Amino acid sequence: MAETTLHKPLPELTDMTRPFWTAAKERRFVLQKCPRCATFNFYPKPWCIECGSRGLVWTDAKPFGTVYSFTISRTVGMNFPGWQADLPVLMCMVDLDDGPRMYAQVTDCEPEDLKIGMRLEVHFEDISDKAGIPKFRPLRKA
Amino acid sequence: MRAEVAVVGYGRTPYHRPKPGDPHLTADEYIAWAAELALERAGMSKNDFDGQGLGVSHAEVAHTVNWAAATAENLGISPAALIRGDQGGASASSMLIRAAALIKAGIIDRALIVGADTPIDIPSVAPGLPLSPERSRGIFWDFQGPFGVMGANGQFGMIQTRYAHQYGLTDAQLGKVAVTTRYHASLNPGAIFRKPVTLDEYVNSRVLSDPIRLLDCVPIVNGGLAYIVTSAKSARTITDRPVYLLGCGEANNYFHGSRSTPDVTVTGFTDAAPKAFAMAGVKHKDIQFFQPYDDYPIIVLMSIEDWGFCKKGEAGKFIDERSLRFDGEFPLSTDGGQLSGGQPGGAIGGFMPLIEAVTQLRGEAGERQVKNAMIGASCGFGGIPYAKPGRSCISLIFGTEA
Repeated sequence: MAETTLHKPLPELTDMTRPFWTAAKERRFVLQKCPRCATFNFYPKPWCIECGSRGLVWTDAKPFGTVYSFTISRTVGMNFPGWQADLPVLMCMVDLDDGPRMYAQVTDCEPEDLKIGMRLEVHFEDISDKAGIPKFRPLRKA
Repeated sequence: MRAEVAVVGYGRTPYHRPKPGDPHLTADEYIAWAAELALERAGMSKNDFDGQGLGVSHAEVAHTVNWAAATAENLGISPAALIRGDQGGASASSMLIRAAALIKAGIIDRALIVGADTPIDIPSVAPGLPLSPERSRGIFWDFQGPFGVMGANGQFGMIQTRYAHQYGLTDAQLGKVAVTTRYHASLNPGAIFRKPVTLDEYVNSRVLSDPIRLLDCVPIVNGGLAYIVTSAKSARTITDRPVYLLGCGEANNYFHGSRSTPDVTVTGFTDAAPKAFAMAGVKHKDIQFFQPYDDYPIIVLMSIEDWGFCKKGEAGKFIDERSLRFDGEFPLSTDGGQLSGGQPGGAIGGFMPLIEAVTQLRGEAGERQVKNAMIGASCGFGGIPYAKPGRSCISLIFGTEA
């Protein structure tokens, strides 16, 4: 298993992006929020894509989203061989409750059950000793 | 800028899928080969471009810094203006617009535009799926690769799922694009996959990233292409068959709806194509063939409707009702496109629609020649943005009469 993990790509942690990965390691879901116009930005941006403010602040975000679209990846394609053991990978465009759209993997779901409009909740996996990554699973009805 | 410039020559090298032990040409060698073919066709020499323009496309294979200037050095040309295409599969089209503007401004009279890539030789998990250094580093990759995005098949798979959700889509509609390109490839000696396929073979081809199948995908090749653009005045002294740029339009980082959560079924052609039609002064019914950037059939459908050939969401029906063959009502990807012709990297593949448009309008398309072709359209479509369909969309309309 260690080898599989090794052969998945790991992000470079930069000063700009480290808060995202560190928070995920701590099981917190954070996004950059614009203090001027309140837009949440993702992936990390050098300024707010709506208003151009450079003062984006990493902020706790609602850990929920909705499936906008999806694909069931049955080959690793243009990624690293470490994904092979995880196939098929359920890959989604997730519209986050706080605004932006995110590419994210859905777990705990059969491929045939994945649907546009499905409600999702975040969970986290560690990908290194410094970084975690958010994934989603179907939101269980209360 | 209508009919201010014309394309007077073009070249396309043979496409290769070299195996270990086969000869491997470098991108620089393919560039020289494609340029030689373009110069021969125009009856020009490389020295005609000293003091003129040289355009070099983006490519994914590792190359040197200042690549456009280095290419001038490699080719022994001393241009007065360098143009660098940096828009993926829209690079060839964008360099035509830049060259036209430089020519209209009187800075240059002509430009040689080149591009080549060797994606087969880029290290990857599977042959023909180049994971280039550019693609696999930096913040853009960091927020895709580790999340499990498996490249273009996955990215366009998600676009297609959404399109089918909003409008409906049948296998026969997508398959007709794939089958038609293979038919056209069978008529094009330069195409890489020339054995016709059936709709059944399309439907039964292996699913790579549901709903994207193997026959939705382009075969990756090594190769190079080039073209020559000059002022309209010079063009008439160089060739008796100039192909005029009648209209152009361009949209970059286009979004439909909200910037954060755009409708991914709409491309920038919605913005670019009306500009091209207005400049050209022609209507949809005047367009005798359409050369889309056919990286996937779904993009062909979206391009057809965003150019306005039919209403949004009705490209499937449009395709159902027409022959897409070179001798049909709506000739499409008449060279076999990238789906069957081969894709020499996503950026250089963008030369193919433009060059096939010019080939048709010069009456040089051989067995696949559209009869009496006088006006046609081609697309530049480049760069896969984060969770959107295409970073750069360029609409070009060409004609045989100024």
